[in-house]
Amino acid sequence: MTLPREAYQVLEDIVGPRNITEEPATLAAYAFNFGNELYPPYANRFLIRPTAVLLPGSTEEVQAIVRACNRYRIKYKPFTTGWGGIAGVRGENSIQLDLRRMDRILEIDEKNMFAVVEPYAMGGTLQAEAMKVGLNCNMPGAGAAVSPLANGTSQWGHGPPTIYFGHNSEVLLGIEWVMPNGDILKTGSLGSGVGWFCGEGPGPSLRALIRGDIGAQGNLGVFTKAALKLSPWPGPAQLKVDGKPPAYHLSLPENFRIYTLTFPNWQAFADAAYKIYDAEIGYICHRQWHKLGKDLAPAFFLMYSDPTKTLDDLEEMLKDPEIQRFTKEMGMPLPIVLAGQTPNDIEYQEKVLDQILVETGGHKVAKMSEPDIEKLTLLYFIRWGHKNLNFVYAGGYVGSWHQYGTPDFIVKYAQVAEKTLSKYQATGLLVQAGGDAMMGPIARMGGGGTFSLEQFTAYDPANKKSVEAVVKYILESAELARDHGFPSGFDEMTALRMKGAEGSQAYLESLPDNQRFQWQWKIRQMLDPNDAGETGTYWMVKPKE
Amino acid sequence: MIDKKGDLAKIVGGQYVLNDPETLEAYSKDESFVRPRKPLFVVKPQNVDEVQGIVRWANQTGTPLVPVSSGPPHFYGDTIPTAAGAIVVDLSRMKRIIKIDPRNRMTMIEPGVTYSELQPELAKHGLRLTTPLLPRSNKSVVSSQLEREPTLIPKYQWTLLEPLRCLEVVWGDGSKLWTGEAGERPPSLEEKWRLDLAQLDPLGPGQVDYYRLVSAAQGSMGIVTWATLRCEILPRLHKLFFIPAQKLDDLIECAYKLTRVRLGDEMFLVDGSNLAYIVGEGIDEIGALKESFPPWIIIMGIAGRSYLPKERVEFQEKDAATIVQQFGLKLMPAIPGARGEQVLEAIISPSKERHWKLSYKGGCQSIFFLTTLNRVAEFIRTMYSVAEKMSYPTTEIGLYVQPLQQGVSCHCEFNLPYNPDNERDVSKMRDLFTQTSEELLRQGAFFSRPYGIWADMEYNRAAQTTMMLRKVKGIFDPNNVLNPGKLCFG
Amino acid sequence: MALEDYRGNMQRCTRCSYCKWVLWDHLKSWRFAKGCPSIGYNNFQSYSAGGRLAVALSLLDGMISYTDGVLDIVYQCQMCGACDVACKICRYDMEPLATLHELRARLVEDGQLLPMHMFIIDNLKKEDTMIAGKVKADRGKWAEGLNVKDLTREKAEVAFHAGCRLSYDDGLSKIAKAAVTLFKNVGVDIGIMGKEESCCGGRAYEIGYKGEFSKYATNNIEAWTNAGVRTVVTSCSDGYWAFKRLYPEVGCKIEILHTVELIERLIKEGRLKFTKTIPKIVTYHDPCHLGRQGEPYIPWKGVEKRIYGQMLVHEPKKPRFNGAYGIYDPPRTILDSIPGLELVEMERIRENAWCCGAGGGVIDTYPDLCSWTVTERIEEARATGAEAIVTACPWCERNFIDAIEKSDIKMEVYDIMEVVQQAI
Repeated sequence: MTLPREAYQVLEDIVGPRNITEEPATLAAYAFNFGNELYPPYANRFLIRPTAVLLPGSTEEVQAIVRACNRYRIKYKPFTTGWGGIAGVRGENSIQLDLRRMDRILEIDEKNMFAVVEPYAMGGTLQAEAMKVGLNCNMPGAGAAVSPLANGTSQWGHGPPTIYFGHNSEVLLGIEWVMPNGDILKTGSLGSGVGWFCGEGPGPSLRALIRGDIGAQGNLGVFTKAALKLSPWPGPAQLKVDGKPPAYHLSLPENFRIYTLTFPNWQAFADAAYKIYDAEIGYICHRQWHKLGKDLAPAFFLMYSDPTKTLDDLEEMLKDPEIQRFTKEMGMPLPIVLAGQTPNDIEYQEKVLDQILVETGGHKVAKMSEPDIEKLTLLYFIRWGHKNLNFVYAGGYVGSWHQYGTPDFIVKYAQVAEKTLSKYQATGLLVQAGGDAMMGPIARMGGGGTFSLEQFTAYDPANKKSVEAVVKYILESAELARDHGFPSGFDEMTALRMKGAEGSQAYLESLPDNQRFQWQWKIRQMLDPNDAGETGTYWMVKPKE
Repeated sequence: MIDKKGDLAKIVGGQYVLNDPETLEAYSKDESFVRPRKPLFVVKPQNVDEVQGIVRWANQTGTPLVPVSSGPPHFYGDTIPTAAGAIVVDLSRMKRIIKIDPRNRMTMIEPGVTYSELQPELAKHGLRLTTPLLPRSNKSVVSSQLEREPTLIPKYQWTLLEPLRCLEVVWGDGSKLWTGEAGERPPSLEEKWRLDLAQLDPLGPGQVDYYRLVSAAQGSMGIVTWATLRCEILPRLHKLFFIPAQKLDDLIECAYKLTRVRLGDEMFLVDGSNLAYIVGEGIDEIGALKESFPPWIIIMGIAGRSYLPKERVEFQEKDAATIVQQFGLKLMPAIPGARGEQVLEAIISPSKERHWKLSYKGGCQSIFFLTTLNRVAEFIRTMYSVAEKMSYPTTEIGLYVQPLQQGVSCHCEFNLPYNPDNERDVSKMRDLFTQTSEELLRQGAFFSRPYGIWADMEYNRAAQTTMMLRKVKGIFDPNNVLNPGKLCFG
Repeated sequence: MALEDYRGNMQRCTRCSYCKWVLWDHLKSWRFAKGCPSIGYNNFQSYSAGGRLAVALSLLDGMISYTDGVLDIVYQCQMCGACDVACKICRYDMEPLATLHELRARLVEDGQLLPMHMFIIDNLKKEDTMIAGKVKADRGKWAEGLNVKDLTREKAEVAFHAGCRLSYDDGLSKIAKAAVTLFKNVGVDIGIMGKEESCCGGRAYEIGYKGEFSKYATNNIEAWTNAGVRTVVTSCSDGYWAFKRLYPEVGCKIEILHTVELIERLIKEGRLKFTKTIPKIVTYHDPCHLGRQGEPYIPWKGVEKRIYGQMLVHEPKKPRFNGAYGIYDPPRTILDSIPGLELVEMERIRENAWCCGAGGGVIDTYPDLCSWTVTERIEEARATGAEAIVTACPWCERNFIDAIEKSDIKMEVYDIMEVVQQAI
């Protein structure tokens, strides 16, 4: 499908000829994303091509584009760093708004600890600038290469430092929002013209409309600026990094500690999580390594920490009895970074952590505290710049059994999740990394209380049978979760997308209690009366009259 | 002819539909200057089914409803009917503490539960709830949290809605929704609890944060019939310190530093007058305390909880002392007229009878808004300037500044005592309140909880917000039965 | 290899965007966060390595056809390799840069040619040089007056390869002269091909003309072998890369050194000492082809196999080229050894270095991209407070000098050889 010429000209006049394209090769590049092969038509990593791609450079341009789309009945889909299939357009006659040019960090208010950013200001750049003034940002779980603004408004929100920093929706303050009808809404104190510092009010908070547990996902207009609360960073203004790729090192500042804890079993793990919440320790805490599978992750990490080694060495390494012992020891890991705001603070946190370990039967894995490994893990956890490791084994990863809840609940479902993945791994069509490939932050919300875990499923996207196995596994897992009475978690959404547009709609309509999807229909009708924006991942059911 | 009383009696029972003159009079007004108006009835439902029944009935009959959960004295006018023929829905009968989950530090309570009722029960399980500053003993916890009353421990405020988590809401159209993770499978609370789920995640369900829509809504979007809250661990050791200062600027900088490094627990700033109102009783005692207290004071609590409580208090006390010294200040366990233990006891308890704001002169107006700490001094100057113009003694003004959301913003409150029985005082106070509010608004104060006259002031400068809120109200309360006339709703 | 052999790469790209940015671990500021000049300038996804992989896949699968847009996407790239390093932080199976090379080769095979490239290749065929408009007869002029072995008639242990840029650029040829003079004076048995020197063929390879490259590689290897050469030294990083990374694939086993490596060796052996003071603050620019693309290279032949179900590994073990062992330290050791010289580093250095803008054919075909890229680098150099940029590649130097001349920026540009010459 091509844009009507008149519409194209209007759009070109808005962004300038350099910032709009209908070049088929570029459109194909925007249709490409990881995971697309899991959704109908299950073909490859290409889904639907946009009819054009635009690169707006300002809120004014975004607004003009959205208004033009309303006028010419063209759909649009914004994204920032666009990592993941949510990003692309879902239907024909849709243009892609790539917000790459809107990448500024407009302000860092050091005193009041917030940053005002445009959508393409990434976690890595925000962190680097914030550190210069003794602050830090909640790095999204997807890492330094993605946008905290998008993470907070539109997709996920929890990450490794959430326990100390808060969820990225919690850190949202004022937001500038080009709504689907082209009006601009500024939320909170920003809407009253008094600054960015408050995300709520006046009265009820309109930012209620954009977030929920998963976010707007590019379906509710465009968020063009936001203020994000920052947190204190008691480390150096600039990270002094050395080493060779990929094993870069950061030496521990005096008031930092990093440990990989390990526990005898799931229950002890859960108990430790509770104690960490209650003790109010931890700056970053994330069950990271096991995303690469209980059976392979420890060896993988040792391989990774040696620049002379590659994945080709892994099989041989796993024959080493010492590495086998280490693998066993790392069976129930929980890495944690402690950061003391003062020397007394770090001393206290260490004592508390030691006490928790005694109480739960856990211990610190000695190997992970060897100097080079400690330096690698510290940098890894602070900058969170190695997230593409999700795909290291074969280029394919999908999250499954992605739940959140109390640690006691996590323990319940984790064991079901482990069995299910093991069964599918045994077919040989997935990577046999071990049934426990669960990764996630100890805190889904600030201060903890709820944990989030995601079962990593590694497969080969270039192998059709591997792809089919994953689709089957996800659909079965969603069913199994339902049979166990578990919450839908985030897998329901993945499963819905796998069913395709019609299948997912039929499923939503069949649910006995689908009232919240009806509310979402009403909200969307109110926000987007011309239905200009895409709705592919904004789940709705039209209320029956 | 609709028999409203009869209809309501069928829903809640005859003895819980009240329209005697004393009752109607009591609900018709409060401590604010909002114009009094009598409701038609006061109904007192027992459970969510009755609440839903009332709301559905209200939709059918076009009857405005005004939800109320706390007992008097009310201060902000939000519980006074704006529309004629309104029914007050008094939720104070709904007093169940449905669940206390110590492991997950969660409590689920109905709207009639007060701080006085809740805290002792939580204490039995080693928990407590972070409170605002001296809530009255009959203050509904749910109502306080819903209205975003600032709580005393900034480091726990991940958002301004903390520690509120999930809700059961009856919307204005009579439908019911469980918000947050409570709205997810499995469908019943018992099934959720069997899975060890604890209704702590407030987001959603789905792609809307419903709990934010009823937050600071003055009951105009939905009626909350239970709420879950995240509790703190009851301190095993708890000390309170004073950081007095002659110059406000030093104290502000000190407050910034302390909140930034998340030292301590309770942390707020008062002037000597406000501390006197908190600590003293009666005009004489309060008068004497005002004389002896320093002009500006940070009140800082340090608590030791489950882990190494003694060590925690010790190191935090040391670190706090070092930090305050950088600003030429001192961390002190007592000041002339007040000891730490005494003030601690006061601030972690509900207010004594005769609400602390009313103890001095019988009446008090509070002007409060949100801003950032670095702007507090200029707002104080404005307050003083208007007060002086209107011959209101600045020594009477009680300042309370509560750092919020881990230091990003702060609640700035001016308490203005006056004699409500003196017509001239009342008239002057009304003018002072109005003029000061207007000037503060112009200067950049953010009335995020827009009660009374603040509503028009705030919404007049936020046109897009106003339009959107009305549209949202149109979805959740299409017949405008819930507290019409409040906020920006007609 | 053919483009189809990289289909797996294309299918397994995850669009993580790492290829667009400096390595996250090293990122120091918003200002200098970018790693890829192509998408930095053009912004559309297709101008990143990941985007080009998607374009390549869609071409292979017949989803799109060749257009001018495709050529623009493929050739607006300096082939600097920053994307390759960034991708390989996490991926052991991906070879983005190699895929981009194959994509260009496929375009050339299919007759999708940029007119300027055709002109350059014609010149190459006729005059054995990539510098448009230059003739073979003039190639040896830079060496006039140099009393050094002629490798077309004599044998020597070491061949100095000047390269096209140093042979024909009047402003820069002094560098070649200085290098040869220095090495001769310290007793290195060194010679040059002079007029008979041919292009290394590296640029031809980079713009997709693999056939032309092979011819030049074969000829050069034969010429060196005939002259008994055991080591080739060059001051041109482009040539260095071609000899070190490309020539082994066609059987070359000769040791390849950059001038900086030989100088460092001489310093360590005590054969070279710096006696003069140079009171200057300088910053060092890592040329792409000396730095991240200058690693020791071993050709590999093997197969992909699966273990643990679907995990992809290689048999035998495949060597990894991710910039870890590029030539970063020798130039820094040299600069640190010069009395009075203060080296201040830019933010993007070593395997993270921002390209000067000249490579991959861009200097000839996309002047706007070239200009934008080099200006970015100059800004980064200025931000250090340095008075001068020192580098080790004449293509980088020419680009810096020309850009600075056109601007109102005051900054000196030196080849490291010039600095060395001043200090001895």
